[in-house]
Amino acid sequence: MKLDKFPDSYRYKEKNVFYDKLLSQIPDLIFQMTISENGSIKFPFLSKSVVSHFELTEEEIEQNTIDVLQKKILTEDFHAFLNSIENAKVNLNTWFFEFRCNLPEKGLRWYRVNATIERDGGLLVFYGRVSDTTENVQQELKLKISEQRYEFALEASSEGIWDLDVKTNQVFFSSQSMKMLGFEEKDSIMAIDKWDSRIHPEDIEKYKKDIQYHFENKTPFYKNLQRVQTNDGAYKWILSKGKVIERDTLGNPLRVIGMHSDISRQIEKENELKRTLEILNEQNKRLLNFAHIVSHNLRSHAGNFKMLLDIIEGDNEQDIKDESLIYLRTNSNDLSETIENLKELVDIHSDLKPIKEHLNLSQYLRKMINLLSEEFTRHKVDIRINIPEDLTVHFNPAYLESLLLNFSTNAVKYSHPERTPKIHYDFAIVNGEKVLSISDNGLGIDLEKHGEALFGMYKTFHRHPNSRGIGLFMSKNQVEAMGGRIEVVSKVNSGSCFKIYFNEEL
Amino acid sequence: MKNYKKVFVVDDDKIYHFILKNLLNKNGISVTPCFCENGLDALEALKQKISTNSLPDVIMLDINMPVMDGWQFLEEFKKLKADFNLQTPIYLITSSNDSVDINRAKVYENEISDYFLKPINEADICKIFLN
Repeated sequence: MKLDKFPDSYRYKEKNVFYDKLLSQIPDLIFQMTISENGSIKFPFLSKSVVSHFELTEEEIEQNTIDVLQKKILTEDFHAFLNSIENAKVNLNTWFFEFRCNLPEKGLRWYRVNATIERDGGLLVFYGRVSDTTENVQQELKLKISEQRYEFALEASSEGIWDLDVKTNQVFFSSQSMKMLGFEEKDSIMAIDKWDSRIHPEDIEKYKKDIQYHFENKTPFYKNLQRVQTNDGAYKWILSKGKVIERDTLGNPLRVIGMHSDISRQIEKENELKRTLEILNEQNKRLLNFAHIVSHNLRSHAGNFKMLLDIIEGDNEQDIKDESLIYLRTNSNDLSETIENLKELVDIHSDLKPIKEHLNLSQYLRKMINLLSEEFTRHKVDIRINIPEDLTVHFNPAYLESLLLNFSTNAVKYSHPERTPKIHYDFAIVNGEKVLSISDNGLGIDLEKHGEALFGMYKTFHRHPNSRGIGLFMSKNQVEAMGGRIEVVSKVNSGSCFKIYFNEEL
Repeated sequence: MKNYKKVFVVDDDKIYHFILKNLLNKNGISVTPCFCENGLDALEALKQKISTNSLPDVIMLDINMPVMDGWQFLEEFKKLKADFNLQTPIYLITSSNDSVDINRAKVYENEISDYFLKPINEADICKIFLN
């Protein structure tokens, strides 16, 4: 092995010193390799760095270079190394090859050889360098692993990635983002307007504001919850988050990267929870109101009993005493009714869950109309039913009877004196929920004034002798005990529409 | 003794009307009670009395009533009081001893003279009419 010894053509020692100094500045191994016609490979020149590159020992320096290389290069790479030399000889252009060595100190190292080839008489002369590429290879490997992890994370998390070029307004959407909106599952590049045009009109303003705030560096990152229209026209709740990763010298954003998460299920659950909480709050409020009313009523009745008995026992005329007796009876009846109402309510809310059955709504409606036929005929009520014959609702039979009876008698009781009463029973499925609407053209209720108290106990809103303020209160309790809810739309002098939302769950 | 002659009783409980009449008689209080079964009836009657300048001397008001309750009546009364410089004292007579109602009554301290719990007794009647 000739180390750092220039071929004989370099006669001048000064020149050698000059190149020696230059070469010491280059970390790569510089070499000249010749191949004779009979195929023998020699290395007329090898720069000194060969020793450190391949951790050569004193003995190895004295040995044949190819033999030393064979020892250093991994067996599986050495054969390919020789083959690459053969190929280079045919092409006579350049020699390029990458190989691995297993060194005693540094362990596994990666090398890359580059050389140009010239013909010199019967010899092929290779001028080239060997670079240690271990660091690069390791970096590439790390990058590859990191990319694989990233890809896997994206796939596993089902979150979409977007990458916006602010100058061109072009945005890259990962396949997951496209999938969220029901499009073909592949990465896409499109104008940002295409996404923006799908955002719900009510969410656009906040979205623009949120992203602008971040563009202006007022927020450390961008975050916005938006409803986005999917390919089939429905909306999904998408949480979009992002960050400007590149700005120009003036601080204007150039590139923004972010992610999309479909949180529709979460929002749905939250809304469900909110609704349950509202119902619980409502029930709690009504129960408090109930307790309040009951205590008020009991106190009234008890007080009246005492005062009436005082009159009877006192020094009063007989006709006054007789009248007191009549009032005693009235008071007693009222007290019984209060207790009956209390019992009915306790039954609804007792721990023993009322049985839910699949009930044919039309049949129950017909049964109720038969029961009230005399009243309906007397008031010439115009009844219209728009309910599928085979439709069933999951409800308690007694509650359904009571519910239909209550809303229908109310419609007659509070009908407008100048109009023929109309009651319409309609059925619809709204957002997957079965809804029965009972609408009338009666007196209507001023919801602004009485809305809060509408379903309260002993709340009456019309001067009607049979108004007891108990029907709506009980109906609401029954529907809620079945997991459903009641909504009301009403206009004074136009009529009311009560919507009963059935809960079909077991 | 206060010289109350005309009294407005705003309460939907007919038994209470009967009891009150008897209590007044028993205590020799000679007044003409005008019974209204809810706030709205009372308000309409009151407006009419204003127009004929025959205002009641005192109003005995319940809270829990249908159509228009005692609180709604007080709100309307407040406006009338401002418009017509009404001085008619109002006594709340109710079976509610709920702290919410008691606190709410404090909001109308300019309108309400006192708060009595039902059943109303002779001492209360004396306080209103005699003391």
